[in-house]
Amino acid sequence: MPVSKLNFMSIISTNNLSKEYPSKSFSKEKILALNNFSFEVESGEIFGILGPNGAGKTTLIKILLGITHRTKGDIKIFDKDIADESYKMKVGYLPENHKFPNYLTGEQTLMFFGKLSGMNSKDADARTAEYLKLVDMEKWKKTKIKKYSKGMLQRLGLAQSMMNNPELIFLDEPTDGVDPIGRKEIRDILINLKSSGKTIFLNSHLLSEVELICDRVAILNKGVLVKTGRVEDITAVTNDYKFMTSDLDENTLNLLLSKYKAVIKSRNEFLYNSPDTEEMNKMIDFLRGNNILIQSIVREKDTLENMFINLIEKQN
Amino acid sequence: MIFLTLMLSTFREAIAKKIFLGFFAISTLIILIFLFLINVDSVEGMVNMMESSGEEGIKQLVIGFQVAMINISYLLIITFCLVSVSSFIPSMLEKGNIDLLLSKPVSRTNIILAKFSGGVVLIFVSLVYLIGLVWLILSLKSGFWHVPFLYSIFWLTLSFAVVYSLIIFIGLVSQSTVLSIIISLFLVFIICPILSVREEVIFSLVSNSTVQFIINFLYYILPKPSDINKISMNIITGESVVSYMPVYSSVIFMLAVLSVSVWYFRKKDY
Ligand SMILES: Nc1ncnc2c1ncn2[C@@H]1O[C@H](COP(=O)(O)OP(=O)(O)OP(=O)(O)O)[C@@H](O)[C@H]1O
Ligand SMILES: [Mg+2]
Repeated sequence: MPVSKLNFMSIISTNNLSKEYPSKSFSKEKILALNNFSFEVESGEIFGILGPNGAGKTTLIKILLGITHRTKGDIKIFDKDIADESYKMKVGYLPENHKFPNYLTGEQTLMFFGKLSGMNSKDADARTAEYLKLVDMEKWKKTKIKKYSKGMLQRLGLAQSMMNNPELIFLDEPTDGVDPIGRKEIRDILINLKSSGKTIFLNSHLLSEVELICDRVAILNKGVLVKTGRVEDITAVTNDYKFMTSDLDENTLNLLLSKYKAVIKSRNEFLYNSPDTEEMNKMIDFLRGNNILIQSIVREKDTLENMFINLIEKQN
Repeated sequence: MIFLTLMLSTFREAIAKKIFLGFFAISTLIILIFLFLINVDSVEGMVNMMESSGEEGIKQLVIGFQVAMINISYLLIITFCLVSVSSFIPSMLEKGNIDLLLSKPVSRTNIILAKFSGGVVLIFVSLVYLIGLVWLILSLKSGFWHVPFLYSIFWLTLSFAVVYSLIIFIGLVSQSTVLSIIISLFLVFIICPILSVREEVIFSLVSNSTVQFIINFLYYILPKPSDINKISMNIITGESVVSYMPVYSSVIFMLAVLSVSVWYFRKKDY
């Protein structure tokens, strides 16, 4: 057993989880939204689930929350099968395209859902004030939700998901419709939650964002788990090096192109690919021999997005 | 606590959708009409009648008013109530709303029961206002405090509850407000009254015993709000109630429909 498994308790674990939806028309076969899905989420991590549209991400969250029923498989949350619904006291959820009763104000919404999560009025009151401030919605608290913009609704939704001080939070597209500054604020809130020991289960299409905050990700395609692992392992380093130098003369440029197969970006910048350290150092000697000053060498990383696109394209 | 929050949310929804306001307006209108009628009478007919038949005459007059009142309530109020509550379930089931509700620590059974009891308490409170106020006005005017009239609050609420259970079921299955309204009004104002006079009207036209059996069968299994209304009038006028079967069978219908609704809601994916 890996060391990490010993240190961290798993908060969610599924084993051979499958979900079949009945097909809408008679001719078609059933829709297999999840196919023998097994995975674990550990305590205190931000876990991201990625996948193209219709991959089954929302279905997975809904099954974990008992909103949709599994067809087969085991699901444990806080070490108990989810048939025992008591875990819902310690869980928060922001649904995809959530829709609050639009006759409530922002403040009333938080109070209502807080109480539905089992809080008493006093606690709900205090946390409502605190979280309205946190998501920067204080000045809108007396306004009816039907007058909110999409991003405002999303902020309120996020506050709602944290109302009952949950151990585990499910967020389905939390930054959908939020402006870049708001997205940064939301990322900061999530990182704060993580540092206070909460576990976050995140579903997002914004891979650059996932890369910024997630510890581990699972990639889902057509209901099948394609890949899972730590973000830094998945986005493995490449053998591309970016060189920044003083001005390159014609002669050096030509040799870089022909001999070292470099990709020239400008007079001061080129990309060099080699798996061999010896080779690279020879190239550096050559540059130095021609009196070129090296300002920086950066080893390039594959982005999550590149990796994701390559993986899904290979699958389809 | 969670159950109560959910139940009270029905009230908030009713206020937001101006249902209370509508009920208040209709009730006040009915009460004003009553006040007007009473005053007209007191000027002309009532004085005469008091002189001719004394206290008995006043009592008859009060009871007459009360029976008329129940008939109006039955038609107007039940219609209004059924139309008002029929959107509760479809709006709860909207995508993005039901997901969140189901993620909360409240069982699906309790969600249905909270919605049901919320609606019933809502109508009960409204009827206490309407019937109670009419009773108070009539009693103060006449000096005749006829308590059995107040029992009709209970009977009307029961009629409502029985049909409301069906509205919940149709709402769950179809997610359609319009369909819930159409089916419940059709049942209350067409099917039930026809079935309740089946012996006098239909059976004199149709002699086929199979058809008669089917119609009898339908009568016994379906709810009987119009028969319950008759019972409530019998109680006001002091006539003896022939049978409480319509009450028992309607309550059984209500419990059965609620159980099926809960069963359906529990197994459904959202
Ligand atoms: N209630 C339902 N009945 C039938 N099929 C459904 C239902 N809900 C989802 N599906 C199907 O299950 C599959 C997975 O859908 P899901 O909503 O989980 O995708 P997703 O990964 O969240 O997609 P997106 O990125 O677009 O949000 C899709 O093929 C979808 O059509
Ligand atoms: Mg989705």
